[in-house]
Amino acid sequence: MKPPVFEYRDPRSLDEALGLLNEYGDDSSILAGGQSLIPLLNLRLARPDYVIDINKVPGLDTIEVLPGCVRVGALTRIRRLERDPKIRAVAPALSDAFQNIAHPQIRSRTTIGGNISHADPSSELPGVLAAYDGRVQLTSSSGSRWVSWSDFFVTVFTTTRESNELLTAVEFPTDQNFSYEFEEIARRPGDYPLAGVCAGISLDGSQVRAARLSAIAIADRPIRMTAAESALVGVDISNAAVRQAASQAAAAEINPMDDEHGSAAFRRGLVSTLVKRTLDRLAGVPS
Amino acid sequence: MTIETGVRRPYVGQNVLRSNDPKLLTGGGRFIDDLHFPDMLHATIVRSTLAHGTIEQFDAGAARAESDVALVLGPEEIAATTGLLPCVWLAPGQRMTHIPIASRKVSYVGQPIGIVVADSRAAAEDAVEILDITFAELPCVVDSEASIAPGAPLLVPEWGDNICAQVDAGDPRDEIEEVIARAAHVVERRLRIQRVAPNPMETRGLIARWDAADESLTVWMSTQTPHHCRDHLATALALRADQVRVIVGELGGGFGAKEHLYPDEVMVCLAAMRSGRPVKWVEDRVESLTATLHGRDAIHRARLALDADGKFLAIHSDILGNLGAHPSNVGLGPFRVSMGMLPGPYHFERAGGSLTAVLSNTTPTGAYRGFGMQEATWVRERLIDEAARELGLDVVELRLRNMIQPHELPFTTRTFQPYDSGDYPEAMRRTVVAARAEANVTSVGRIRRGLGFATHVEFTGLGDSRSQQIVGFSLGGYETAKVRVDPDGSVSVTSGVTGMGQGIETGFAQLAADHLGIGIERISVRLGDTASAPYSATGSIASRSMTVGGGAVVTAAGKVRDRMMAIAAHQLEISPNDLELVRDASGRDVFQPKGSPDISLTWEKVAESAWLNWNVPDEFNTIGLEETFVYNPASVSYAYATHAVSVAVDLDTGLVKLEGYWVTHDSGVMVNPMICDGQVLGGIAQGVGIALYEGMRWGETGQPTTTTYLDYVLPLSVDIPNVKIEHMVTPSPFIPGGMKGLGEGGTITSPAAVGNAIAAAVPEIAGLLLETPFSPSKLWTMIDEAGLHV
Repeated sequence: MKPPVFEYRDPRSLDEALGLLNEYGDDSSILAGGQSLIPLLNLRLARPDYVIDINKVPGLDTIEVLPGCVRVGALTRIRRLERDPKIRAVAPALSDAFQNIAHPQIRSRTTIGGNISHADPSSELPGVLAAYDGRVQLTSSSGSRWVSWSDFFVTVFTTTRESNELLTAVEFPTDQNFSYEFEEIARRPGDYPLAGVCAGISLDGSQVRAARLSAIAIADRPIRMTAAESALVGVDISNAAVRQAASQAAAAEINPMDDEHGSAAFRRGLVSTLVKRTLDRLAGVPS
Repeated sequence: MTIETGVRRPYVGQNVLRSNDPKLLTGGGRFIDDLHFPDMLHATIVRSTLAHGTIEQFDAGAARAESDVALVLGPEEIAATTGLLPCVWLAPGQRMTHIPIASRKVSYVGQPIGIVVADSRAAAEDAVEILDITFAELPCVVDSEASIAPGAPLLVPEWGDNICAQVDAGDPRDEIEEVIARAAHVVERRLRIQRVAPNPMETRGLIARWDAADESLTVWMSTQTPHHCRDHLATALALRADQVRVIVGELGGGFGAKEHLYPDEVMVCLAAMRSGRPVKWVEDRVESLTATLHGRDAIHRARLALDADGKFLAIHSDILGNLGAHPSNVGLGPFRVSMGMLPGPYHFERAGGSLTAVLSNTTPTGAYRGFGMQEATWVRERLIDEAARELGLDVVELRLRNMIQPHELPFTTRTFQPYDSGDYPEAMRRTVVAARAEANVTSVGRIRRGLGFATHVEFTGLGDSRSQQIVGFSLGGYETAKVRVDPDGSVSVTSGVTGMGQGIETGFAQLAADHLGIGIERISVRLGDTASAPYSATGSIASRSMTVGGGAVVTAAGKVRDRMMAIAAHQLEISPNDLELVRDASGRDVFQPKGSPDISLTWEKVAESAWLNWNVPDEFNTIGLEETFVYNPASVSYAYATHAVSVAVDLDTGLVKLEGYWVTHDSGVMVNPMICDGQVLGGIAQGVGIALYEGMRWGETGQPTTTTYLDYVLPLSVDIPNVKIEHMVTPSPFIPGGMKGLGEGGTITSPAAVGNAIAAAVPEIAGLLLETPFSPSKLWTMIDEAGLHV
């Protein structure tokens, strides 16, 4: 369990990193927190010719709580984010999601950019990004672009990031009218979830103005459950039957597959349960 | 649990802090991978990537041409220069009795077929990638029921089937059938115990060094059985036993998986002999999950017969045991022990089992903590709960009604187990009282709660030699201790058993200090080096280190004390009967005439004169202060326990949370209660793994799919509830010191207790709870099919 031979580069500036990516592109892997890449290298499942270690690139570990959004630099460690009081004040569900990622030792290494660009369909943050309608910043030598979550995630471990681009920042919009809840079901605390749901609603009194429901670990990428969202618009969230109906709509619209962790029916059941639990909490009902 | 640190005498029964812990906790422990030698090379094992087939070509030309590669050996070169490894426990009619070190025939993914030795492990792994190996693939079979189905792929075509051996145990089958036929009630179930991996924290590993001038092989090895490995290394490499020295340093767990010599370990030694340089190999975690022996993997079709009053009449199980690609060192052993221990602590008119042990294209199965007894307990205790459910009886009442009573001990079961001593009903009563008083069994909303019980009797302390001969277990069942007082009064204790993190060094020091009658600080315990340790055929397996090994220490220490007393009495010119050995006011160990504290001889002074051979009794016919005692126990000893666990089952997710756990455990005299608690607790954690989390799986092509800890799920510390452990102490009637074995009981009963607790929480699915592990998806599906999802 030793990595295959590769060449190691550790650029000291963003320009230098982007230059290396321009040069090596598909033949390289970017090393940030290393919590996925290093095991993949040791199992020889990843075989890059070059490993570009961006940990010495300055300026990428920023946390900005701005009017209307939380913007985080790609190299920011999850452990720092989960303890940031400014983030918890404006986006508590995001803070909750951070704490569901693996274990403290891992979170002290894991970076938000690496976590999101790895595009594991079971990973928490891509699902939260989907519920928040967030976006990522991709930067190359020729400039930066912002890409919405829905245009970024393609399928398992695959995104629209070009091989010469680096994910440099992640942005979670914080619409003051929306409240969010995140919950996942995992075999053990810290495991990849069997299913996870992030639910957000915007209320006018107890009437739902808008709803955003995302799910992870049930498709090849994070998804939004739009039928369930539509079912919620205009209804009274304090009505338990409404929440139940939304959870059933969510279970009906997803298309999970049987795998060795469980059947499709099991996954539907979990998503239904999670939608109900998160909506219950958003409605102020203890579940 | 509270850990007492103030240590009084006698030491036995005190929570003496473990002597190895300061070293381990400050990074001073040295495991195999911490050892480095000048000029050392690093090996990686070439393994079959195919479940079944023949190696048509093994071309190492490109790899050998690499400048950092020192040596490559393929299957034919290895087979040509190595002997076969014998299975030490043979069943009657067992069709495969020896294991080749390497062969062109491959029978499971992970099977060692060659070795590459290079300047670094990474370079060796790089070289494996440029080996040109071609296989002719054969169809494979991984499941035991598929293995005996007509038309199954055959591992040994000339046999005509995959059955390695069939053996019965207990009463004759026709007598059992007769009792079952006339029973008022019969509960019959198909129960399954999954394949699990032992997962020692330190994987296997060794460093082999060949001294060409001296023609000797020294092997630093992570093993529970250094002498056994030495003997088999000599056999495999055509050396004399005295040319091989095996040294065990720290050992980061074994759990049974390190109880013998593996073919890949022989390859490393062969590579050291060929290269003339030290060679290190440390198993990586993927190898540990696929190339270290697994445990369990049995299907039981079991029946419990009762009369109209709920009296047990008979128990029988038809066992289909999956040996994997070949029988392990202990062959059919675990499955046979399942039959022998099936009756547990209960009366039966007739009891027994019939075993069919089959080959499959999977990693071989062998010893793992619990060794067949966990499976037996799972089967019996689930059947009893099912019987209680069907008959409308209380699960505890039904058990107590059928239990062997203390006045009936010693008691030989229908499967010929000579239970020695104890009070089985009392252990159950104590657990039940504590658990029923404290457990939360109130279901709320979608959370169901329940309390489950299970109990067992456990075969511990493998010996004696005559019984091992009767069952065909070709290892001596004795242990030897050597206790020496040196001229300065310090004491060294050596034994053939090994420390593997269980704390046996501390326990032996406690025993020796008490039986010598001196302070524990004088005593050092040295284990694990075949050049200095007494010969131990069986080693540290089968919960025997403290019973058989400890019994030898007790006796040898007593003999040395007698010798010291005789010298002191001689010098004080009194009878030894009038002499005592005490710790005086200034903390010295001194010999004094009883009632005359002003006259004394220090321990050191007596030790010094003994080695000078001055002023010793005339009748002494040996010099010095060293006693060796070989202890061959009269029988095995039988520990027992009752466990209770309370669970909360989330009907909507299938998740099980263990909320409370109660144990009453009797393993005879407890040398160190803190270590006893640790053994019980650790055992429970591994049992919880079996109940809820663990399991090896294979795809259709025989590829293992649980090869990392992403997929092979072990319990975390947060998954284990607080465990309340109560001990009863019924001394073994024959082991000097009264100890019984302790290491396995926690694992043996906990899965059945968890299963019964889930059954109590969700009675609608109780009849389906027959196959561990109970993953959320499995339970959710049962709950769903039971109509409990609205």
